[in-house]
Amino acid sequence: MAELSLRNVVKRFGSYEIIRNASLDVADGEFVVFVGPSGCGKSTLLRMIAGLEHITDGEIHIGDTLVNDVEPADRGIAMVFQSYALYPHMTVEQNLAFGLRMTGNPKADTERRVQRVADILQIKELMQRRPKQLSGGQRQRVAIGRAIVREPRVFLFDEPLSNLDAELRVQMRVEISRLHKELGTTMIYVTHDQTEAMTLADKIVVLRGGNIEQIGAPLDLYDNPANQFVAGFVGSPKMNFMSAEVVAADTDSITITLVNQGKIRLTLPMNNPPPALGEKVTLGVRPEHFAKAGQGDADMTVTVDVAEHLGNTSYIYANVAGGEQLIIEREESRNALKTDTLTIAIKSSHALLFDSAGNRLR
Amino acid sequence: MQLRNRAAYGFLAPYLMIFAAFWIWPIISSFLMSFQNTRVNPWVFSFGANWGRLFNDPAFYNALKNTMIILIIQVPVMITLATVMAVLLNSPLLRARGLFRFAFFAPIVVGEVAYAAVFRLMFNLDFGVINKLLNSVGIASISWFADAPAAMALLIIAVTWRWAGYNAILILAGLQSIPGDVYEAATLDRVGKARQFIYITLPLLKPIILFCVILSIIGSMQLFTEPFLITNRGGPGGGTETLGLFLYRQGFTSLNFGYASAIAYTMAALAILISLLNLWVGRDEK
Repeated sequence: MAELSLRNVVKRFGSYEIIRNASLDVADGEFVVFVGPSGCGKSTLLRMIAGLEHITDGEIHIGDTLVNDVEPADRGIAMVFQSYALYPHMTVEQNLAFGLRMTGNPKADTERRVQRVADILQIKELMQRRPKQLSGGQRQRVAIGRAIVREPRVFLFDEPLSNLDAELRVQMRVEISRLHKELGTTMIYVTHDQTEAMTLADKIVVLRGGNIEQIGAPLDLYDNPANQFVAGFVGSPKMNFMSAEVVAADTDSITITLVNQGKIRLTLPMNNPPPALGEKVTLGVRPEHFAKAGQGDADMTVTVDVAEHLGNTSYIYANVAGGEQLIIEREESRNALKTDTLTIAIKSSHALLFDSAGNRLR
Repeated sequence: MQLRNRAAYGFLAPYLMIFAAFWIWPIISSFLMSFQNTRVNPWVFSFGANWGRLFNDPAFYNALKNTMIILIIQVPVMITLATVMAVLLNSPLLRARGLFRFAFFAPIVVGEVAYAAVFRLMFNLDFGVINKLLNSVGIASISWFADAPAAMALLIIAVTWRWAGYNAILILAGLQSIPGDVYEAATLDRVGKARQFIYITLPLLKPIILFCVILSIIGSMQLFTEPFLITNRGGPGGGTETLGLFLYRQGFTSLNFGYASAIAYTMAALAILISLLNLWVGRDEK
């Protein structure tokens, strides 16, 4: 087990910067998830920690050791690959034991460790099979087993569940969470799936275009996103964004009009210096934060496009002028939602405001 | 037969007729010929004339011995060399990869006669570049064409030069089909490069290497061009006469087609037998 820290880590391919000045501290035993859209650099960052990619600049420490120039094998890490990367010609048992056997680990100890992993992951009956005789979920289990058997200081997971079907993904997600509790080892997990990030992480690192956009606990990110990108990326369904304009500003409040919603006015409390009058801003409201008509600070009527009834809750996809689409979560009777139009209310206490560059204003 | 099928066979008919006339019939015909005494006119059925002779013919055993020596030495040497070449070609450190790939493949594009002529010049006793090189490091000139073991070595060198690159390209295709993350996983498993090669690359290349070995065995069994053109029709004194050459001599010099057919069938049977043996040895356990 070990803590891990990145200090101003940079990765460049030619003149193109893949990772810009990434700094991060991971506590011993923490479960950290790197999340972001494709091409944001999250896998590159993970591979740099593993030592599979060289870093152009900065420092990576694992425990007390600066590992910039330490070989991947000597970093005390184990990695689970998206494609599993099992040795195709070896049985499950051989896959698990290969690394230990090659490094001359005592035979009895190797057997004990392989047995323990087989117990933990419940793969005892698969031990004599080859990878091609296993299902996707079983292969992933073996890949995780191969990482556990090395008893690493840090586990790295590179999108381990993205090749599995939805049901299996949920099941494996729970297992990985359980595994983390059992082993207590530091884990770093890369995914593009924000649900995985929210459910697994002690700490989420949101990346975009090689930049770390925000680091925080899942609910902190959900409640207090640093910018519009994080607000939109974290949470499912996504946060709604509505174009607005500043019409009045006071020392402790700001008034905006929603430009596509028939100039609806909304006054929001404001601690930060307010933007200039007439400036274009974006209002952000999560689907579950719309209130019933009359119960908020401003009512608005929308045209219902599609309603998804999930049983416990319903998502209303509504169109408004200007091409904006809103997603509204409602828990009331399903019949009540079978309408063409719907009047909802925005509560200023649950509304976020972003400037035109996407920075958070409140 | 449905109309659709009839039309399909109609389109295939020209090919099937040519295939039957020029492939199937010769195969059957030569099989029948191997049981006929073709040294008398008209030919008469005689089991012993060809098959009986074959098993008592010292010239046949000489050709068989020569072919086997070439096969046993040349095939493993060439496949090993081809594997090394493929690994080098696959190395990310290699510059001008396309050029090397072409260079390795070029020998089989060169005409056989031209390549044989070049080898004859290079290995010439008096003014060949090979003997000059040997002399320069203090080794006496070797009479490549007059000394039987040297002539065998020359054949092996020539065949290896011609086919190693071809096999390397095949093995390279196999290498490139091994996913890179398997090696990354092995690196993280603390397995060094040499061990990765022995425990991961070679086992995963086994099917393609086996394929190359079998192709090479079939090629060696039929070896004809090199002993014909480079070592003067199997010279010196039959010292490099292969089964292919022996067959040619019986069929087209002595015009004994029955005996040549028996030799041809023996060669095919041996090639199949050795290939099956290889498949059996290289089979996956369980």
